[in-house]
Amino acid sequence: MNLDNDLKRAMRRESPPAGFAERVMQRCGAADSAAAAEVGGPTRRRPIWWRAAAASVTLAVVLGGYAVHRQREGERAREQVLRAMSIASEKVAYAQQQVRDIGSH
Amino acid sequence: MRKFVMTLALISIVAIPAAAQSIRIDFPDLEDRAEEVVDVTLDADMLRLGAKFLSGDDEGERAVRDMVKNLEGIYVRSYEFSKDGQYDHRGLVDRVKSQLGATWKPLVTVRSKTKENVNIWADMRGDRVVGLVIVAAEPHEFTVVNIVGPIDIDRLAALEGQFGIPKISKERNRD
Repeated sequence: MNLDNDLKRAMRRESPPAGFAERVMQRCGAADSAAAAEVGGPTRRRPIWWRAAAASVTLAVVLGGYAVHRQREGERAREQVLRAMSIASEKVAYAQQQVRDIGSH
Repeated sequence: MRKFVMTLALISIVAIPAAAQSIRIDFPDLEDRAEEVVDVTLDADMLRLGAKFLSGDDEGERAVRDMVKNLEGIYVRSYEFSKDGQYDHRGLVDRVKSQLGATWKPLVTVRSKTKENVNIWADMRGDRVVGLVIVAAEPHEFTVVNIVGPIDIDRLAALEGQFGIPKISKERNRD
């Protein structure tokens, strides 16, 4: 019987103390904003870092690519210059030699 | 206004003949028949770029760099054929010749039945050479070179054999 009485006393409906609901709501609000700050903060900061890093990498790749392209183009132009001048010099030297040979006969 | 127009006209009269002349050296009909085609097209920008990459330590490359720095273009077409009689030498020489203006003078003409035929024309402005056209014909090969801009012919000839290429003219003279 005592157990029944104890249980009834423990399980009886009781009104909350004054201001309980406000306190609960306040704590819920604080917890929400803390969670929001924790979740939202890094995602707001992250794009700045990522954008800077991505811009730097892109710039480095573009400049590097252009330098390599220019280097290749320059090497190709150099080979073309040497080739053209060697053909031209060969033909002119041959012609001059023929003229000298005729002159010496 | 009249002064300005007169000055402009005077500048154009002086500038037009002073500009070195480039000619058309492409022969599409030869290209089709040739076994191998060498095509070198270097305008002023490409010449400057190529010159930057020439070595200052190598004597030959240094000489080339000095020569090309004032040029406006170098154009070479060389057609190699698998057998004789694939092109009309005289016809091609005439095609080149017909493009040359009054300032062009024939410098050297080498005619040979067994060896290379060479025609060289120079674009003369006073005693200055501001352009060169070389046409060289062998039974299996036809080459045209157009150098646009001031060029020293003796210095050009002296370059032969300086790029690891043997002195072909001397070898031929032993024949």
